[in-house]
Amino acid sequence: MVKNDEIFPSFWYNIIPDLPKPLPPPRDPPDAEFSRIDLLRTIMPKEVLRQQFTVERYIKIPEELRDRYLTIGRPTPLMRAKRLEEYLKTPAKIYFKFEGATPTGSHKINTALAQAYFSHEEGIEHVVTETGAGQWGTAVALAATMFNMKSTIFMVKVSYEQKPMRKAIMQLYGADVFPSPSDVTEIGKKILTENPNHPGSLGIAMSEAIRYALDHGYKYLVGSVLDVVILHQSVIGLEAMKQLELLGEEPDVLIGCVGGGSNFGGFAFPFIGHKKGKRFIAVGSEEVPKFSRGEYKYDYPDSAGLLPLIKMITLGKDYVPPPIYSGGLRYHGAAPTLSLLIKEGIIEWREYTEKEIYYAAKLFMQTQGIVPAPESSHAIKAVIDEAIRARNQNEKEVIVFNLSGHGLLDLTNYESMMKRWG
Amino acid sequence: MTLGYPDEENFIKFIKGAEMLGSDIMEIGIPPKYAKYDGPVIRKSYSIVSKRVKDYLALLKLARKELTIPIVILTYLEEFEKNLDEFLEELKSMEIDGVLFPDLLIDYIDNYEDYYKRIKSHGLKAVLFVTPTVPDSIISKVSHLSDIFLYYGVRPTTGVPIPIVPSALVRRVRDLVRNKLVVGFGLSTDDIREVILAGADGVAIGTAYIEKIEKEGVSSALELVRGLRGILDEFS
Repeated sequence: MVKNDEIFPSFWYNIIPDLPKPLPPPRDPPDAEFSRIDLLRTIMPKEVLRQQFTVERYIKIPEELRDRYLTIGRPTPLMRAKRLEEYLKTPAKIYFKFEGATPTGSHKINTALAQAYFSHEEGIEHVVTETGAGQWGTAVALAATMFNMKSTIFMVKVSYEQKPMRKAIMQLYGADVFPSPSDVTEIGKKILTENPNHPGSLGIAMSEAIRYALDHGYKYLVGSVLDVVILHQSVIGLEAMKQLELLGEEPDVLIGCVGGGSNFGGFAFPFIGHKKGKRFIAVGSEEVPKFSRGEYKYDYPDSAGLLPLIKMITLGKDYVPPPIYSGGLRYHGAAPTLSLLIKEGIIEWREYTEKEIYYAAKLFMQTQGIVPAPESSHAIKAVIDEAIRARNQNEKEVIVFNLSGHGLLDLTNYESMMKRWG
Repeated sequence: MTLGYPDEENFIKFIKGAEMLGSDIMEIGIPPKYAKYDGPVIRKSYSIVSKRVKDYLALLKLARKELTIPIVILTYLEEFEKNLDEFLEELKSMEIDGVLFPDLLIDYIDNYEDYYKRIKSHGLKAVLFVTPTVPDSIISKVSHLSDIFLYYGVRPTTGVPIPIVPSALVRRVRDLVRNKLVVGFGLSTDDIREVILAGADGVAIGTAYIEKIEKEGVSSALELVRGLRGILDEFS
């Protein structure tokens, strides 16, 4: 029996030294009235910034942090979707890494814990962030309390009202949760004066969180897109590599869904960098068509334009996504490393409609029992398509995907989808 | 040093003094429209000289006359892409030694070899610039092509003291680089010792001099040159 701490890695993996081309660095915009790169220095924990910019292939995970990762249940299980295989009558084997097994129900905790640990080490007592649907906010709330820190979460007002359970979990973990726009920052107050019923947006919530951190001398934690977030998320792929090795399996196809790219990158990059796996498929939403319609260019990672420009596949920072159920996939861009690998043809992409992923999710629930997050169901749809292709070509492939989160707090969404599509 | 900063007279005074105090190479920056990889201090210097200096090329000619050490021109390829051959020819005719385009291996990676050849075809030296986000395979491939030295910019922008571990960054590339390795971008005095110990052959300093000139004048900046030369000499 291999122990958990033998599966859980000692190092994070950074793909940048192994990319096929130079990763364009972040930039300040032309004629900037202030340096956004310099602003990072004020808002982010020092060690997190150090990891973002000290590009090394492997970075040691501190022992105390490793211990916390084990405490929350890492390594997460690598499971075989045997009944799905049988249902599809495919000769392919399907495995999935179940990130929904973490206490917060998604992969987000992997970087929240790391960023909270480094904040705590620096003597910080309070961290701040924003959250849309609530996954990231929940992860930060738990991570902060695990290192005896306070947390403040700005939650997009419409989600705050529609997802009271997410808010309740954050509060139970000890976080202060404000609906954004809020009356605790000047930015929020100004918006509320103009429109007291403003539904809020991720961009506003982010601006409020950054402003609140600046005003109080707290630190701001980043949920996706930045290289350092994908670095922390590499525990997913590193564990999965080890787990497959123990099973004696060589992966052929690796699949994950993409919001900003951190669960996909964390899962797939260690395989790409260690030359394991033949094909890599990033799956987005057809309603937020960043892969099919996005441009590869410098753009702001945040709609408020407070962070430095990064080069990525993007629909533009002002893109207004339609109100799809997969809140995590509504982001306008894809992380720079992921964008570069897609541009270079190393990673393929797919986009699916909400209706398609709903049927995939339902099939997965009925064969495997797990309720996947609607975001992760995009990956499942691609897995089903690949398994059918393998059946048609009679290929005994090994397909592995990242089930980035469970959908037990998305049941109202599934209920609406059930009403529409049966 | 930014060409013409803080004004023509003091610019010449600084570069002459810096040579006398032991600078080995003078990197002179020609202000571009968009200094993509430069921080607030260098950008401000660009905006100041853009208003003050009327004839860059005449000033560069004067700088060449005053210095005996090699002069490398730093500017962005993006700025001169359209009339690159005229620009390079102009530099060569002034007996400038080489050019460094920090965006060459980042924004022009697909055809950097063509640009490299064009620089060389004008009889100029091509100094290449890499950053920590340049993958190992490319650093290995290009390091020996760089003339005089390979420039390694360790921070995402000049002059902003983003926390990094310079020695770790130098150690990562040192064995890949078959050339002299010069490290720059926001180095503090401690960083300088650290990178030299980690295997760098030299350092590039810009923002620190500009800040000194801005706050205390050319003499203080020259004192800094003397001090930094002293640090490097500790290791020689």
